[in-house]
Amino acid sequence: MSAAIDLTAFTGQDPILTIAEEVFSAMIDPEPEALREWFGETPGFTDPTYAWVDLGGEMPGRVLLTTERTTATRITRSLLCLGPDEVVENADFVDAFGEIANVLGGNVKSLVPDPGALTLPKVAHTMPDGPVRALMHEVRLDWRGDLLVIALWSLP
Amino acid sequence: MRVLVADDSRVMRQIVIRTLRQAGYDWEITEAADGAAALEIAKEMDPDLVLSDWNMPEMTGIELLRGMQAAGMDIPLGFVTSEGSSEMRETADAAGALFLIAKPFTAEVFRDTIDPFLA
Repeated sequence: MSAAIDLTAFTGQDPILTIAEEVFSAMIDPEPEALREWFGETPGFTDPTYAWVDLGGEMPGRVLLTTERTTATRITRSLLCLGPDEVVENADFVDAFGEIANVLGGNVKSLVPDPGALTLPKVAHTMPDGPVRALMHEVRLDWRGDLLVIALWSLP
Repeated sequence: MRVLVADDSRVMRQIVIRTLRQAGYDWEITEAADGAAALEIAKEMDPDLVLSDWNMPEMTGIELLRGMQAAGMDIPLGFVTSEGSSEMRETADAAGALFLIAKPFTAEVFRDTIDPFLA
């Protein structure tokens, strides 16, 4: 899918990073530069959560968002304006984190010529099932010290 | 003003409603969790405006718009969707949507988009 996105056409910043910054700024954390590109070595995830949407079309692909479960929980709290001691229900967690993938995916879709339909988002604590073709592009992000990874995969 | 907000994400419905309030719209708001539910509610409620997501289970936003039109309902509908490409905007416009607001959005975007239709 990323081959269909000419990333070199975007002078300066990676468009996926720009999309992520807009999503975080508008929906999660309005503080300027709260979300930045991750620099340096990335730690492995110990308790990951995955959220993804798939794009159809001539070059099917997947937009996959990965972060620690604790980070996804913090994202859910921000989206729902929950206090630090309020319980995050699993249904809200899946809804909120999935919606972030949905918004990211919809914006990535806008970069792709002749895209197909966008699937509804899915959330899981294991990698998505099924075959993938290749990792096309990856952006590693730092949200107040927490790692988030947005990966674009091509699908068969 | 009575408004129907349709989105399969409860979180996003809450964000839309919160943003409408932030934009200064003190409207009476009803929620629907998918396009089919929104169509049934619209038939009962006859809202002044429908704000709908595009991609929903049971019935998509564009199907909801066409369903309302087929039922003879002249209710304005604006899309609030993650898919804001020019192609989607053209499709929405051709189908008779009032506007398309792309996610992520701000209260300012809501005001700039919606205010002209309220004037």
